[in-house]
Amino acid sequence: MRTAFTSLLFAVCAAWPAFAKPCTGAEAQLAQVSKALTVNALDIAENTLRALIASYPDCPETVLHQARLAQARGNISESAELYYRYTDKDPDDSRGLAYFGRFFLEQRDYMRADALSAAAIDKNPDDPAALALRGQILLMKGQSSEGQNLLEKAIKLEPNDPEAQFQLGTIYDKAKSAAQAVEHFRKASTLNPHDARAWDYLALNVELVGDLDGAELAYQKGLQVNQAGRYHDAFLDYNYGRFLERRNDLSGSKRHLDRAVESAPQVRAVWYERAKLDMRMQNYPQARADAEKAAACAQQGGVIDLQIYSLLSQVYARLGDVALAKKYTDLTRETPPPVRGEQR
Amino acid sequence: MRRKLFTVALVVALAAPPRILWGADAGRIQFENRQKDSGISFVLDNGTVPDKPMIDGIPGGVALLDYDNDGYLDIFFTNGASLPGLAKEGDKFSNRLYHNNHDGTFTDVTDRAGLRGEGYSVGAAAADYDNDGRTDLYVTGFDRNFLYRNNGDGTFTDVSAKAGVPGVSSAGKKLWGISAAWLDYDNDGKLDLFVANYLDWSFATSRVCGLPGKRLSCSPTFYKGEPNILYHNNGDGTFTDVSEIMGISRNIGKGMGVAIADYNDDGWMDIFVANDNDRNFLFKNRGGKAFDEVGVESFVAYTDSGLPVSSMGVDFRDWNNDGKPSLIVTALGGETYPLFRNEGNGFFSYESYKAGIGFRSFKMSGWGAGIQDFDNDGYKDLFTANSHVSENADLDSQQHYRQANAVFRNMHDGTFQDVSGDAGSGMQIRAAHRGCAFGDLNNDGKIDVVVSAIGSPAELLYNTSTGDNHWILIKTVGVKSNRDGIGTRIKVTTASGLVQYNHVTTAGSYASSNDPRVHFGLGTGAIIKEIELRWPNGTVQVLRNVKTDQILTVTEE
Repeated sequence: MRTAFTSLLFAVCAAWPAFAKPCTGAEAQLAQVSKALTVNALDIAENTLRALIASYPDCPETVLHQARLAQARGNISESAELYYRYTDKDPDDSRGLAYFGRFFLEQRDYMRADALSAAAIDKNPDDPAALALRGQILLMKGQSSEGQNLLEKAIKLEPNDPEAQFQLGTIYDKAKSAAQAVEHFRKASTLNPHDARAWDYLALNVELVGDLDGAELAYQKGLQVNQAGRYHDAFLDYNYGRFLERRNDLSGSKRHLDRAVESAPQVRAVWYERAKLDMRMQNYPQARADAEKAAACAQQGGVIDLQIYSLLSQVYARLGDVALAKKYTDLTRETPPPVRGEQR
Repeated sequence: MRRKLFTVALVVALAAPPRILWGADAGRIQFENRQKDSGISFVLDNGTVPDKPMIDGIPGGVALLDYDNDGYLDIFFTNGASLPGLAKEGDKFSNRLYHNNHDGTFTDVTDRAGLRGEGYSVGAAAADYDNDGRTDLYVTGFDRNFLYRNNGDGTFTDVSAKAGVPGVSSAGKKLWGISAAWLDYDNDGKLDLFVANYLDWSFATSRVCGLPGKRLSCSPTFYKGEPNILYHNNGDGTFTDVSEIMGISRNIGKGMGVAIADYNDDGWMDIFVANDNDRNFLFKNRGGKAFDEVGVESFVAYTDSGLPVSSMGVDFRDWNNDGKPSLIVTALGGETYPLFRNEGNGFFSYESYKAGIGFRSFKMSGWGAGIQDFDNDGYKDLFTANSHVSENADLDSQQHYRQANAVFRNMHDGTFQDVSGDAGSGMQIRAAHRGCAFGDLNNDGKIDVVVSAIGSPAELLYNTSTGDNHWILIKTVGVKSNRDGIGTRIKVTTASGLVQYNHVTTAGSYASSNDPRVHFGLGTGAIIKEIELRWPNGTVQVLRNVKTDQILTVTEE
């Protein structure tokens, strides 16, 4: 694998003749397959691709799309093999490099994803797939404004890329610009209705702009499609559970927070949130159990020690355990609140 | 047949919302801004400069006080100063006192009264500290605090130095005073003074946030907090700083709003301080001997998220008629306004979402706050004076500097409904609102609101709510207790069986001072079955079969 990748990196620097002839006449079908894959319409992509391969057996682009299809189906080794084949044949195609880079990104092989995304942009700075991937990677590297610029350029060239729309939405989400975030998450979820993450983020931001029924609907749609795979959202139940708690649907909230602790038991935030709900439902022994589990989690999920201490002080006070209540009250008092953003 | 009719009536009664059971006219809450014809031209001037230092977002206290004892509330506004000079240059920075002419108009009597002030003023607290029957005035500020003694002839004398209430720490540093509260913490019949202080900020340490030309208010987390001050009234015109021995000053916060109530019903007034981006304080009065800060133990230090919000204004009254004073706190957009319901067992529960104001207030930023019965239906509603702290807040599409105020109607079931949009033109004014004070300006039995706003005329929001609900205003005159009766807890029971509670205080809201008379809305009942007053010195006084729709003066027996 490593050897192959090294060869690839060498190869990307070398020129390679274009594959124009074997695909002549297949352009429209290739575009259709690519679009179907972009919006996760896998059956359509597969059927069209099968017909395409039969008619154009030497068209190398079909290999690229086969790789993407295998990736989308979760056939990782097959997908990798096909990507290698394609990029060996056409190392100058920015799309091949970009999609292969996205493959590595999904495999959490960030170094290769970084290298390939940079190479893809070098090959073609106007390739929307390359721009979208590079933009996302720059965001991950903390180069927010550069990443945003690339993503904006990407969706200008290809507004129907749900992943680029989603990534751009996350920028606005982080910047607390809910209205703009909604715009992009709405496009992402419309283009790819199988993306539970997009529905989740859409719901969160729709709530922020005050449309509670819209948020409810987005959560419902997200839950319908939230299955294992590349678009799975481990925190959808958590976020929906919190939302229902704010809407005073405590039993509904409990149902989803129960699922959240099952799907992400290593994350402090899910136990913390369920403990808070237990408190509201006056189930103090369960609140104690959940709060203690939250305290023991290494992965905070955004919940800091102060919040845990404050919750535990309340739990033990409600349970009448004076000593432990005092312990956590003292810890709450001694722990300074977090320093928030520098301006407001 | 009779039995059948009774059954039908019973079913109807049980199916009806609670308000119909005891008889309240479901009128609409309405406010009308009558500033234009009032003769009040006051515009709060924060002296803003391009770098938007912390100080320029903070001012704007209002006090409603009857300084000339003519039975009508007059209005005092605090004002800013030039920056960085902190000078009240010219009229535009002057504090203002307006005399109520009883006909909807007011006359500016500031100069005659001697209340123009000095330095950068912020808050005001009115009460009769020397028990001479005249309402005095304490004014907090960034660089100076003043105690003005009412001479009884329309003039005031600055007695700050003699009284010893300069708002300075034990180390000699002038603390940044925001709100103040008069209370008799030791029930000795003399009003003491609590001053909530904010940040250890100065122009020398001031930071700049945001881009040039689009500066934003910096977070208070950049600066250390300051201790609050408690002054004990010695009864001879002087006060003693007892902050340290009473357990107040060891708690360093970022105090903005302050409100008082006897939350645990032990006969001693307690103090709540709203701290900006820090844990709130609840000072539990230990029999007048000391205070224990129990905010964390009582679950009011933080919201249910275990984190602080930008707590600013506060009110501390019983909104659900269970006899237990509860809290509303205003904060910035994206935080919600915390509602803490007093459970009566030493704990409060955060109920912003449960009570239905969570989602609505999430988008609001608020300063002044009040728990008052605006439609006289016997259940106290909520009012908040809204605006973001940063003049350039609109750079964030989710935030707005100028906002309309909000009123939330009490639905009698522990929830509130935002009725602001339907509450008249007075509630649609978008401005940089700050402090607000609550009281009955025209003695019509409906609680009005006076709101200060940076850069625009103060608003006189007359309560024009519809419906014919009855009311009573109770003015307490202490004899053994402090003359104003501050701290007196009042229980009113109507003939229909509705029981309500409130207490005498001028504290609450943001940097402001309210009508000392205690207001009760009474629904449709024309007779009050019983009024019980529990005076600070322990005396319990009961009045029976009291007429409604009157301003009742009750002198301590």
